[in-house]
Amino acid sequence: MNILEGKITDIKTHGSVSLVTLLMGSVYFNTIIIETSDSASYLRKEHVVKVIFKETEVIIGKNQNYPISVQNKISGALLDIENGILISKLTIDTAIGKIIAIITTDAAKDLQLHVGQHVIAMIKTTEIMLSP
Amino acid sequence: MIQIALQKKLTAPHGSMLLDIDININKGSLVTLYGDSGAGKTSILRMISGLLQADKGRITVNQKTWLDTNKGIVLKPQQRKIGYVFQDYGLFPNMTVKQNLLYALEKDQSNHTVSELIDIIELGDLQERKPEKLSGGQKQRVALARALVRKPEILMLDEPLSALDNKMRAKLQDYILKVHKQYNLTTLLISHEISEVIKMSDQVFIIENGKINKQGNPIEVFTTKQMSGKFQFSGEIVQIEQEDVIYIVTILIGINFVKIVAEENEVATLAIGDKVIVASKAFNPLLQKID
Repeated sequence: MNILEGKITDIKTHGSVSLVTLLMGSVYFNTIIIETSDSASYLRKEHVVKVIFKETEVIIGKNQNYPISVQNKISGALLDIENGILISKLTIDTAIGKIIAIITTDAAKDLQLHVGQHVIAMIKTTEIMLSP
Repeated sequence: MIQIALQKKLTAPHGSMLLDIDININKGSLVTLYGDSGAGKTSILRMISGLLQADKGRITVNQKTWLDTNKGIVLKPQQRKIGYVFQDYGLFPNMTVKQNLLYALEKDQSNHTVSELIDIIELGDLQERKPEKLSGGQKQRVALARALVRKPEILMLDEPLSALDNKMRAKLQDYILKVHKQYNLTTLLISHEISEVIKMSDQVFIIENGKINKQGNPIEVFTTKQMSGKFQFSGEIVQIEQEDVIYIVTILIGINFVKIVAEENEVATLAIGDKVIVASKAFNPLLQKID
């Protein structure tokens, strides 16, 4: 799993669901979780928490401004590409740390990815977990 | 309300141990004592039933004092309204099922209680059989019925299901829940199975070295609050296989196997036999109704 750090800057709660905004370096990430400040003690503004998401949930794009519903985006350089028969593993060096993405080898070929290239890593709001 | 405060020096496998607990149990609740062997769980039940003497302590059951060592009050086991079910049934081999139940009646109690229990625990077809003609699950149902004949104020179950297979176990759990509710019993269960604790109990006490280490609602006690993922299970790794640039980890959760995709760095920290938390977000799993 990818584990990065972020500082909680905003928490919007409705019922048992919270939309949490995190400052990660100079970009903001959002995650929606079934916790509130009452159920999870780490859910406080200014707290630094671990931001966790699975490698298979990282979407790779080449264009910064493509209109897309995924809110969490970070750019970085491709550090390594490991091509398997069906599945490939990409390591991306970003300002908030290394992110690993697992995508199909077909998708990696379609995108014509190469080491050193700049890409955008994107993670859906519903795919990010938090941990103290 | 049942208040239990007990202290006793016990001889444990590794020297002596001071059992020291102070717990309150709501009337009508089902409470589990969970912990390793030798932690003191059975000793607690034996002290509540009066089979083992506490060094110091106080037990009050619905405002009645069963034990108060300061005042020299110690009710005998037969004066305490207790039903006790052990792992090894303890049925009289020379008596039929019905005779086993009738034997448990108090002098002035009517036979009606026995026929009612035979009904509820569905022993009708078995009542004329002797224990040797019964399966393990059937014997345990008879033992459960017998423990209820005297309408106990506390039903105590000391790992009653651990000798049974999973299917039989689930059935017995349902019987226990049924009588627990029907007779508004206060039930104390000893169990090693987390899934059983979660299914059965309102409250769990985790006992470690004679002390209560943790207590509360079983789901809250057993699920980790360390991660926000709400789709969480604990299991044991049974297989790790490399496929392409990823790994597939097979994990036994209860009686089900699941497969999880993992990455090389994660797998480096894992080995077969490791206990792990499997976590995902509540947003991911699909639900499909079974016809």
